[in-house]
Amino acid sequence: MFSYTFQWNQALARLPQMLEGAVVTMEVAILSMVLGIIFAITLTGFRLSGNKFLNGIAVTWVEIARNTPALFQIYMAHFGVASFGIHFSPFTSLLIGITFNNAGYLAENFRGALKAIPDTQTRAARSLGMPAIMAFNNVILPQMLRISFLPMSNQMVWAVLMTSLGVTVGMNYDLYGVTQDLNALTFRTFELFAIAAVIFYIIVKIINFGARLIAARLFRY
Amino acid sequence: MKKSVLLGGLFAATCFAVTANTASADMLDDIIASGTLRCAVVLDFPPMGMRDANNNPEGFDVDYCNDLAKALGVKAEIVETPFPERIPALMGGRVDVGVASTSDTLERAKTVGFSIPYYAFENAVVGNDKAGMKTWEDMKGKTVGATAGTYEAIWMEGKIKEWGTGEFRPYQTQADVFLALSQGQIEATVSTVEVAEANVKSGKFPGIAIVDKAPMVPDYVGLFTMRQEYGLINYLNLFVNQQVRTGRYAELYKKWVGEGKPADLSISGVYR
Repeated sequence: MFSYTFQWNQALARLPQMLEGAVVTMEVAILSMVLGIIFAITLTGFRLSGNKFLNGIAVTWVEIARNTPALFQIYMAHFGVASFGIHFSPFTSLLIGITFNNAGYLAENFRGALKAIPDTQTRAARSLGMPAIMAFNNVILPQMLRISFLPMSNQMVWAVLMTSLGVTVGMNYDLYGVTQDLNALTFRTFELFAIAAVIFYIIVKIINFGARLIAARLFRY
Repeated sequence: MKKSVLLGGLFAATCFAVTANTASADMLDDIIASGTLRCAVVLDFPPMGMRDANNNPEGFDVDYCNDLAKALGVKAEIVETPFPERIPALMGGRVDVGVASTSDTLERAKTVGFSIPYYAFENAVVGNDKAGMKTWEDMKGKTVGATAGTYEAIWMEGKIKEWGTGEFRPYQTQADVFLALSQGQIEATVSTVEVAEANVKSGKFPGIAIVDKAPMVPDYVGLFTMRQEYGLINYLNLFVNQQVRTGRYAELYKKWVGEGKPADLSISGVYR
């Protein structure tokens, strides 16, 4: 039994607010992706370094990021650290949580990509007189990023969808937060969440399309 | 020929009777026929809805639902429903009636049907001791929070917009609000006097205190169901009236909230 009369005009009147929320969602996702890639490359470096301590940090990070719910990570970035007296705004907490998650997954993607690059390339580069760092940066890294580009776009999609978890730490101006606020105000649950779903869908489609365009441009052999 | 006409007529009449019967059965009939009244109750909202030591639902709203079921002569089933999920639960047919401390705003009444108010909350401002607040107006410019989707959340967000300074953060549960307040993530919250007192007294959230009454119109809450179910809404209205008339309202207030007089549910100067 589902007897509900859809009143789209009531919900569509709120569309501008929701689109503003979508912009914030995109901001969080993009920032968390950029930071996530930087951290993931660092973690990959840690793993390759052969230093036990650095390797330990990287392994711990990846293990926690991949084996606990993103919700837990975001919640910890807000309420967890606050019990030590460190206060982050909801936006920052959400960003930290998703970045942490992204970095963990991406580091794992990068590891897989590195495995696909034959060792002989490093040796060839070194034998040409390149220092280790240079060999990594100029020979291995570009190939690693190329191989893991599509998994990266996947993670970007995931980051967009994870922003919806921000409501648990009091985030109320991203797409999901705005939708929930409006829901409380008007009780037009189904229209509002349907619109939010469509917006999420469109964002993801745009990301996928963009990733394909970029891939076609960058990776022509 | 005659016989077949007669048979056909009889058949048609039977069909008509059957369809007429099902068409006239409204939600009130359905509840009575099913023998169970399913209530949406928020169990994260003491003392209105919570769980006892054995994890069984209890509280003012739980008892209210049980009373309603008893009046209807059916069994009560408490369906735990967080604040934001009250409407999906109703529309999806998981519950028949909401006994969930739901503020009867005009905006919401466009979607669901409310009974007359069955309870009214007064609200208090609770502050973190470090914020050094004296009156409710000290909330101006502060970071404040409340449970998402509640009357007080809507009020606070409106105040922040009106003042043009400060920040509002909605949290998913009442417990998160008080945790954030105790940690100093937010400096003040507005909650019902009942909830505020219970939480300050519980000792689970150190460093917080009730600052002042919030200058809001009392938060009248109604039972709710499908907007078009006049029969049921009518019954709910009479039920609320009877609860007050028989003194059960005052009894439940004493049991769950404490000494003193429960809020007046009538508004002078206007019919409802």
